Amino acid sequence: MLINAVIIILREVLEASLILGVLLALSQHNQVSKTWSLKAVLLGGLAAVMYAANLAMISALHEGVGQEILNAVLYVFIFTFILTIVYSLRDKQYSTVTVAAMFGCVALAVIREGSEIIVYIHGFSTIPDLFNPVLIGSSIGAGIGLSIGVFVYYFIVSLPFTYGVRSSFFVLVFIAGGMVSQATQMLLQADLISSELPIWDTSQLVSEQSIVGQILFAMMGYEATPILLQVVLYAASILLTGFFAIGSIKRSQQGHLF
Amino acid sequence: MKKNNFSYTFLLGFLFVVLTDSAFATPVFNIEIRNHLFYPAELTIPVGTKVKLLINNTDASAEEFESYELNREKVIPGKSTGVVFIGPLKKGVYPFFGEFFPKTAQGSIHVD
Repeated sequence: MLINAVIIILREVLEASLILGVLLALSQHNQVSKTWSLKAVLLGGLAAVMYAANLAMISALHEGVGQEILNAVLYVFIFTFILTIVYSLRDKQYSTVTVAAMFGCVALAVIREGSEIIVYIHGFSTIPDLFNPVLIGSSIGAGIGLSIGVFVYYFIVSLPFTYGVRSSFFVLVFIAGGMVSQATQMLLQADLISSELPIWDTSQLVSEQSIVGQILFAMMGYEATPILLQVVLYAASILLTGFFAIGSIKRSQQGHLF
Repeated sequence: MKKNNFSYTFLLGFLFVVLTDSAFATPVFNIEIRNHLFYPAELTIPVGTKVKLLINNTDASAEEFESYELNREKVIPGKSTGVVFIGPLKKGVYPFFGEFFPKTAQGSIHVD
């Protein structure tokens, strides 16, 4: 039970931790105050408790697919915020927008991942024998997840400005793609987008269950059996975010920026 | 006469849509979660058909219905029912499990 708790919580924490690490590093490189992050985590955590407490009611909405709709909305907003961050960093005059988008991005990621953690751990409060191992396992998982975020932060911060910004953008572009892919997945599960047969199957190559598969999923929304629409939306979101990122980097070379 | 033909075609078209819609309504399959086990643990569904799974979690603790093969994951709070649409699928066996209690909560969808 302990190992399972480690893996579940690690998976949930990793996604939010990666986003937080990259955005804090971007703030550091661009000399933006980092107080937004504390507010985002606190507010996101509070909202996650409310989401978790009302999950059964939310799930029942819209003929039983309320959970999928809400999650898809969260993913789409996180994607939009990442797009805004990457675009707005091209000019100092947008710095308020950048900070607001960073705040929004982290707050929503914490709501999304935090609510699942709360539902998971809370479920074990009814099973006294398992509650302690689950708490210990969860703490270890959260610890590893946060450590990876901290590592990413220090790694990017240690790079010179140009490389720091470029590598942050690189990571954000793929996280953005992953958000769109997961939003599509939620709408498919809810039957709001009509499902079709997958266009390819790479599960023999990289299984989604494997460690590599899990890391690829957290970093770029890896999906072994996607449908055509999912691939098209994924590619479009990566191209759009990448296009904005390159635009911002070019502006910085002209000395306009940050 | 032409106008009449048009209305008939329209009416037939309308009837066709209504009838096919009810005839091909998404089949529903029920799965129950009890003591961290799935009942039934094995379920057979038709090839190339979209189906609706109604997963009733009778336990007090939450469970997450998850399947890498089906690309599905859904948290189902304790004492509640979750809806998951799957398919259309190719012939084969698609395992699923309860992520929160993976040792016991195991099952598979047989598409035949």
